[in-house]
Amino acid sequence: MISRFLFGPFRPSVEALRPVLYRIAYAWCHDAALADDLVQETLSKAWTRRSQLREEVALKAWTVAIMNHCWLDHLRSRRDFDDIEDWQDELESSADTPEVSCNRDQVIACVRSAVARLPLGQRQVLTLVDLEEFGYAEVAGILNIPVGTVMSRLSRARTGLRDLLDTAMQQPKAQPLLRRVK
Amino acid sequence: MNPVVSDETLNAFVDGELDVAESEALIARMREDKELAQRVCSLRSLQSMVRLAYIEPPVARGRQASSVPRRQFFQRCALGCLVVLAGLGGWAMRGLDSPPALAARPTTMPDGYQAVSLAQKADPNRVMLHLDSAAPDKMRAVLDQAEKLLDEAEREGRAMQLEVIANSRGIQLMRAGHSPYGERMAQMKQRHANLQWVACGQSIARFATEGQKVELLPTTRTAPTAIGEIVTRLQQGWTYVRV
Repeated sequence: MISRFLFGPFRPSVEALRPVLYRIAYAWCHDAALADDLVQETLSKAWTRRSQLREEVALKAWTVAIMNHCWLDHLRSRRDFDDIEDWQDELESSADTPEVSCNRDQVIACVRSAVARLPLGQRQVLTLVDLEEFGYAEVAGILNIPVGTVMSRLSRARTGLRDLLDTAMQQPKAQPLLRRVK
Repeated sequence: MNPVVSDETLNAFVDGELDVAESEALIARMREDKELAQRVCSLRSLQSMVRLAYIEPPVARGRQASSVPRRQFFQRCALGCLVVLAGLGGWAMRGLDSPPALAARPTTMPDGYQAVSLAQKADPNRVMLHLDSAAPDKMRAVLDQAEKLLDEAEREGRAMQLEVIANSRGIQLMRAGHSPYGERMAQMKQRHANLQWVACGQSIARFATEGQKVELLPTTRTAPTAIGEIVTRLQQGWTYVRV
């Protein structure tokens, strides 16, 4: 398996995507070990399917589309749902609420947990657009949904995220975190 | 005149999905429409927050143990960047509707004080005076300035709005039983309907945690935070003067 990876220009170019894939995977599942597994699986699938790739320039989008399948497969196996479409708009991760994290004064953790609480479909669109600057058409291709859906999900994702963060930021006011040090 | 711009369109604008003509039309509208500019600004800062939150995602434990300290370092850097960028993003966007973003022009402002305004020309009719100290001379100065500005406006027949915002130790000025100027302030408020005394809610809460109950003078209003009040007013075109 490993020796097969060593041949051809495909390996270095796809291997270079590892950090990109990992970042996206982590933003989707917020679980480092799972994200690592997803990336690994995606890279090996990308390798076996490399003949299906038409244009070299589309490599990133194509690989992320594969990862989307891996992620959905994983969710299917974990939950007894037949139709993911049904919970595409509902699934939230069980992460801490943003309020809890903000009290620990970690802005990054706060944003992450707010993202984690977005419904799955919205979370995927948001992270693809914001983290990797994919165009709307590319995102539509990767997730296999219409561009109109990309736009509405993105819009709802950002509105939802802002609301979550607003609530989270307002929380500490009741109990000031900064104390006077004399 | 113009219909409300949809969230979808604004998102597309922020993500660079609109064509050149559409983008230009939006930018032109944002110059006039403060609220629209505000919405774009908030979308952009949200975007940079998301971006920075994932700059260095945590590494799976046990797989690449060596990079753990680095990760923490990066997280701190990212946190710093986040704070700086969120701020910068906001200021940069303000630049759109007023090219010299910070025009500190003390046109009618009292000598020795610097006025800050987001508008090209500081608005002399909407002014905030900020007090954050309980020093007797500062307290007196803030009242003197307020009176001077209001009297001047009255003489010139301008309708002026003025807010005196107190936080930190400056709260002392507005506390019933502690303020050395309670009577004078009541008189001023009576003479000038557009004068507001605003106390910072967070500072009051801090006094409370130190075991001091804060009772404000009857004409005083409480804002959740002084900084929030100042930023909101600045965005509304007010002029800020720190005493």
